[in-house]
Amino acid sequence: MFELPVTTIEGPELFVLEFGDIVNYFTVYTAVLFTFALLFTILVIISRPERQVDFAFGGDAFYTKDITPGQFRFQRFMALACGMATLGAMMSGDVFNFTLFTSMVGITNIGIVAAYRNRHVLNAAFQYGIVAMIATVPLFGSAAIILATTGTLSMWALFGPAIAVPLVAKIFLVLGVMGEGMAPFYVAKAEITRAPGAPYVLMIHVSSLLLFLRVVEIVISM
Amino acid sequence: MKRREGRGTWISRISRTISELENLAGLYAVLFIAVTVLGAFTLTSLIYHDDQLYPKTIDAADPLNPYQRGGTPFNTTDVQAQYPDNSPYLGYVTAYLTPVTRFIADHTPYMGTTIVAHPGGIIDEILYNTRGLDTVAETSILFVAFAIAAHLFRRDE
Amino acid sequence: MEGIYAFGLLAVFASIVIGFWALVRENDDLHRILLTDLAEILALALIALVATDLAEALILPGLVVGISELMAISEVFLVREGLVRQPERMLQIEVMDSAPGLLALALVGYGILLSGFSGGAVAGIGVIFYFVCKGHDERFALLETLSGYAWAMWIVAFFIFMLLPQYWFFGVLIAGAAILLKVAGKMSLVGTMRGGANV
Repeated sequence: MFELPVTTIEGPELFVLEFGDIVNYFTVYTAVLFTFALLFTILVIISRPERQVDFAFGGDAFYTKDITPGQFRFQRFMALACGMATLGAMMSGDVFNFTLFTSMVGITNIGIVAAYRNRHVLNAAFQYGIVAMIATVPLFGSAAIILATTGTLSMWALFGPAIAVPLVAKIFLVLGVMGEGMAPFYVAKAEITRAPGAPYVLMIHVSSLLLFLRVVEIVISM
Repeated sequence: MKRREGRGTWISRISRTISELENLAGLYAVLFIAVTVLGAFTLTSLIYHDDQLYPKTIDAADPLNPYQRGGTPFNTTDVQAQYPDNSPYLGYVTAYLTPVTRFIADHTPYMGTTIVAHPGGIIDEILYNTRGLDTVAETSILFVAFAIAAHLFRRDE
Repeated sequence: MEGIYAFGLLAVFASIVIGFWALVRENDDLHRILLTDLAEILALALIALVATDLAEALILPGLVVGISELMAISEVFLVREGLVRQPERMLQIEVMDSAPGLLALALVGYGILLSGFSGGAVAGIGVIFYFVCKGHDERFALLETLSGYAWAMWIVAFFIFMLLPQYWFFGVLIAGAAILLKVAGKMSLVGTMRGGANV
């Protein structure tokens, strides 16, 4: 019943999962992304947080940065949720569902950095959070324009040659993922990664990278 | 060497503006405005598709007005889903009314204004059944946001 | 119909330009939060332009995403600014000591009877009223637990719909009860965070 109309971009589909109107699927391309996301999620579950040490310049003094169990547990939970949202976005077969998982990635990213007490890091989290919030406008806007002009949200129909998705909706979608995944805003990322807690902070990078790869695939296929 | 604000070549001025964290939201907003203005020029090509899923019908005389989709409780009704084959019991939720809802609908003409709030009806059919995964994602988002706020709020106990 | 849609889109696009230009010009962070909340409405307006039952069903997740992000961001803002004020009790009226139990019970009971979204709101108001009058020292852990249960119930309802569609009735009722818990829990948070003693 379900067959991808275009197989040149992402390869043939491997597995189809039907949830009512939302039909999730794996292709060779998305399965690779999914495996990558899964791998990092497992890494997050099993790894211990890094412990940063600050050395005072020109002396023997140093102080270790402490990570309390509460913060550790919370960050692991957020990184896990971020991994789950990334997994959802990778296999989603519906534009609106994809945008929802994308905004979940955005909000979990805020959560990972918001756990720190450093004012500088909190400021970065706040500024990024503002971008993630306004990014929902192009994100949901693109899904809405696609629904209005084509009458469907399912990628199975949208990828077909019969349906032309308007250019502005595609650009909105990319712009929305940019805002949520913070892909081009590496300025803010550098500020954020000053924070201790390596495996969890890495999840921010992994999720935004994977989201971007997926949205490029969606936009090209549409 | 002391850094002087406002000096330097135009490219270093641009890079200084971009690298400031406080300008991040403004930068994104400018980008979005530019795309929107471009989109406004293509407005004539954005034509409403007439054959929509889950169309809305309005019958002002009905007590369930904007949400009357036919059917009686525990029976099915016609629902225009994307993939009806994936939901074998499509239409049952749409037709269902709780006893309280039915009581209100029988006695006042304004049940439709609050029917979304009761279990059953077309909106619940879409939210729980045909597009259930959307609602799962939505609930998870709310749960995660609540966890963030509660953690920040309670961690100093 | 086509003309109306294009006209609506034009209006929303114009609002986007105005709203986001305001964001560009605003430098104060608190005002930025308010402006982003305003800008979120534009996403809902774009969805609403589709004007079908599906659009109506998509508005709910859109709205919830906006509210969730606002909740998280404003909490980050409060922590960053160190705004932890402990307000003293503003109001002390005799009836506030005697009435809350009964009134809150009535509101929560009626909310459960209504069930669903508006039921959650009514029950939530009952809980708020109780908290305002009686204080809410140890209640947050309870609300967090409640929110977790609501989430789990929702997942159960989803799997009933997907795997056992013949039991759709239980799915609807479980989801209805979960949304009742969820909305009641969230509503009762309104105005109680950052207030009161030792929370």
